[in-house]
Amino acid sequence: MNEVIAFWILSTVAVLGALVAVRKRNLIHGVFALLVFFAGLSGLFLLLLAEFIAAVQVLVYIGAVGVLLLFAIMLTERVAGDDDRRMTSRGWSWGLVAAVALFVVLLLPAIQELPPPEAAQAIDPSVKELGHKLMNPYVVTLEVLALLLTAALIGAVTAAQGVRMPKEEDSQE
Amino acid sequence: MTLHHYLILAAVLFCVGLMGAFTRRNAIVVLFSVEIMLNAANLNFIAFWRYSDNPELLHGPMFTLFAIAVAAAEVAVGLALVIAVYRHFKTVDLESMNTLREE
Repeated sequence: MNEVIAFWILSTVAVLGALVAVRKRNLIHGVFALLVFFAGLSGLFLLLLAEFIAAVQVLVYIGAVGVLLLFAIMLTERVAGDDDRRMTSRGWSWGLVAAVALFVVLLLPAIQELPPPEAAQAIDPSVKELGHKLMNPYVVTLEVLALLLTAALIGAVTAAQGVRMPKEEDSQE
Repeated sequence: MTLHHYLILAAVLFCVGLMGAFTRRNAIVVLFSVEIMLNAANLNFIAFWRYSDNPELLHGPMFTLFAIAVAAAEVAVGLALVIAVYRHFKTVDLESMNTLREE
């Protein structure tokens, strides 16, 4: 019973957070709504007994991605977004129709097609087991991921730094 | 709570993210809409793992862990690109980035 209440509260928080995040004109408010969404999702992971993933969600999304988004917004224009320009793109109603249609036509029937699941078994998720798995069958994936993160780090720095035109440098010297 | 509740919730979140990506003109908002969609997919992974026949294999959390790491890399590079584009066009409005468009 408690689980049901927790599920409904957390899912409401997550859906509302996501909706506010994509509809809010003020980008800073939007990012804070996004953080609420991440927190709600983290709670849902806890409810599904994936405690390590919940912790990673808080660390990576609320901690890193949130701050990164805030910085990106501060570095670009119109922080408050309180101008009277349209915030939606041209033909936005088609986007809305496509999103609703995807849900109603594709996802909902696909979910209803699934056989009714048996009762969830009691599982014992331990971080220790996760660590062992990470070292034994998934070690190559882990290494590739480390490579990817390094490449992303270098790529992000290079892209954000901007390309200096050699001509400009020459003329400055 | 059954698997179907979680799947429908993830589908709703995915469609909210898709709506944001389709309807907003700010590049940063589009980026975090993509983030919402990725998170909805992660919720599916974890839900399927929780209700699977042999959860001790930990496939769901593993995949989610890797997906989160890739998503973090994606956000870092994506925001760097947004900043680079902002420096070039002086805007993050996706509709004014139409250099490739046929006049």
